[in-house]
Amino acid sequence: MSRPTPPKSSLLATLMDVPKNVWNSIFRNPLPSNDLERSATTFTNFFLHIHPVKVHKNSLRPAYTFGLGLISFFLFVILTVTGILLMFYYVPSTTQAYDRMLDLRGTVAFGTLLRNMHRWSAHGMVAVVFLHLCRVFLTGAYKKPREFNWVVGVILFLLTLFLSFTGYLLPWDQLAFWAITVGTAIAGYAPIVGKDIQFLLMGGTSVGQEALLRFYVLHVAVLPAILTLMIAIHFWRIRKDGGLSRPADADPSPSLEAMENAVAPKASVLEPKKLYGLQGLVRGPLTKVGQVPDNTVFSWPNLFLAELFTFVVTLSAILILSLIFNAPLEEPVNALHPPNPAKAPWYFLGLQEMVSYSAFWGGIGMPTIFVLLLLGTPYVDRSPKGVGKWFSRDRLLTNTIFIAFVVANIIFVIIGTFFRGANWSFVTPW
Amino acid sequence: MAVNLKRSSGVESDGGRTSRRRMLGWLAGAGLLGSAGLSAVSNFLFIKPRATYGQPQRFSVGKPEDFPSGTRAILAVRGICIIREGSKLAAISTTCTHLGCTVGSADTGFACPCHGSRFDQDGNVTGGPAPRPLPWFQITLAPNGEIEVDKDIEIAPGSYLTL
Repeated sequence: MSRPTPPKSSLLATLMDVPKNVWNSIFRNPLPSNDLERSATTFTNFFLHIHPVKVHKNSLRPAYTFGLGLISFFLFVILTVTGILLMFYYVPSTTQAYDRMLDLRGTVAFGTLLRNMHRWSAHGMVAVVFLHLCRVFLTGAYKKPREFNWVVGVILFLLTLFLSFTGYLLPWDQLAFWAITVGTAIAGYAPIVGKDIQFLLMGGTSVGQEALLRFYVLHVAVLPAILTLMIAIHFWRIRKDGGLSRPADADPSPSLEAMENAVAPKASVLEPKKLYGLQGLVRGPLTKVGQVPDNTVFSWPNLFLAELFTFVVTLSAILILSLIFNAPLEEPVNALHPPNPAKAPWYFLGLQEMVSYSAFWGGIGMPTIFVLLLLGTPYVDRSPKGVGKWFSRDRLLTNTIFIAFVVANIIFVIIGTFFRGANWSFVTPW
Repeated sequence: MAVNLKRSSGVESDGGRTSRRRMLGWLAGAGLLGSAGLSAVSNFLFIKPRATYGQPQRFSVGKPEDFPSGTRAILAVRGICIIREGSKLAAISTTCTHLGCTVGSADTGFACPCHGSRFDQDGNVTGGPAPRPLPWFQITLAPNGEIEVDKDIEIAPGSYLTL
C-alpha cells in the first residue's frame, strides 16, 4: 500500500490527511477490485477471517443448506442483543418480575417490540436449529471427518432447548411457575442424582424466589457462555474439517501429479525431523500448494453477500412477526391453582405428552435414548456413501429411521397441542 | 513461517528407572487435576444452599367444628385436603405425586391438570401417570383444641384421627 506522504513542514496537509489515515489504519485493504485484494480483505479483517478466502460452490447452493445454520446463528445474535436490552428493565424477583413485564408493555419505549423480538427469535431458534440438525442428518454431513462437529451440534441443540426453557420461566407468570415445578420434578426422576439436581435447581425444597434467581443466572450468564464457546468450536471445526460437506463428485478429479502437490498429509504421518510450511499441515482440499482445478469461488463477494442477505431476511422476518404478534404473557403466578390444562410451549408439548404416560420414561428415559442415538450415529454409521446429497439412495435406511423419529415426535406435539383438554384428557379439536 | 514437529527427546527412561523430569511431570499433572477437582467440589458446595426458605411443615388448620361431617376442604395454601366423615378426620396431600402440580377436586376424587393423573376420594391412583397415591399426613388434636397437621410425617392411607 503506497500512499503519498505529506511534506514534513505542512501541518495543514497532515491534518487534511487525518481522516484518510485513520480510515487506512483501521481497514488494511481498499475495497477489493482484484483477486489478491479479495484474499487480503478476507484474511486480514477480524470479522471476515473466520471465513475461508475461497469457498466451494456447493456450499453456496441455497437448496443444499437453506442457510439454516447461519439463520440459527443470526437468531442467536438477535437474542443476545435484545436479551441484554431487556436485562436493563428486568428484575429476577418473584414480587417484581411480572410487574416488570407489564412495564415493558406499558411504559418502556419499544419494550413490547423488544420482548416480542426476543420471544419470537427464541421460538425461531428452537425450530431452525432443529431443522439444521435435520438437514445435516439427511445429507449425511455428520460422516467422517465431521463426527465430532455433529456431536458439538447436538450439544448446541440441547443448550438451545435449555436456554428457551430457562427463558420462559422469567416472566413469572402461570406458565413459568408450573413449568419450573414440572421441569425440576422431571429432573428429580433421574436415577441416583435426580433429587440432588432438583434441589440444586430449585435452591430449596419448593419453587420460589431461589428457583427464579437460579434460572435467571443460568439464562443470562451460564448457558449463553457455554453456547458461545460451543458455537466458536462448531465454526472452527467447519473450517478444520474441510468446509461444508459436499458430494464426492463435487470436485473435479485432479491429475496425479497435481494430487501429489495438493493433498495435505495427516499430522500423524508427518516426519518429525522435517520442517513443514503451515500450508503443508492444513487439511482439506481447499488449501493447495500446487495448481489444482477446483470448484471454488472467492468468499468476497459471493459468500459475504449471501450471508448479508440471510441476515437481512432473518432480521426482517423477526421484525415483521414482532410487529404483528405480541409475545404471550399469562396470568400472574398462582401457586395454588395451575391453569387447566397447563400446557408447555409447542416445542415441549411432545415431551409433555410423553411425560403424561410415564414421568421417568417420558422425561428422562426416552429423551436420553434419543440423545444417545443422535450422538452415536456418526460412530455407528461408518459408510462414506451418500454424503452431500439430500435423501441419497445410499442412506435410505438411516434416513428412514431418522424421519420416523421426527414424525413420531411431531405426532406427539400435535396430540399435545390439539387433542388435550382440561385435566389433560383427550378432546377432539372440532 | 514453519512448524518444527521434532519431538523433545528429554524424556528418556533408562533401564526402567523413572527420570526426574517424568516424575515431576506426573506430580505437576496430579496437582493440577487435584486443584481442578477441589475447585469443582467447592463450587458445588457453594451452590448447594445450606439454609432454605419455605413454609412451616407443621401447622394448625382450625377447630374440628370448622369441618362438619362430610367436608372435603382443599386448603390450597397448605397443599392439603381436610376430610371429615362423622368423627373421623384426615389430611391428604394435594401435590400430585407425578410431577408436583396441584391437583383439583373432581367428581371421583382428585384430578391433575398438568398430565392427567386421577385419584379417588382416598388419594389412590385411578388413572394417568402418577406413580404413587397421594400421601396422608399425620393429623393430631393439639391441647388447645385445634387440628394440627404435620406434612413431614406420612401415615398409612386410611388411618383417620377419631375425635
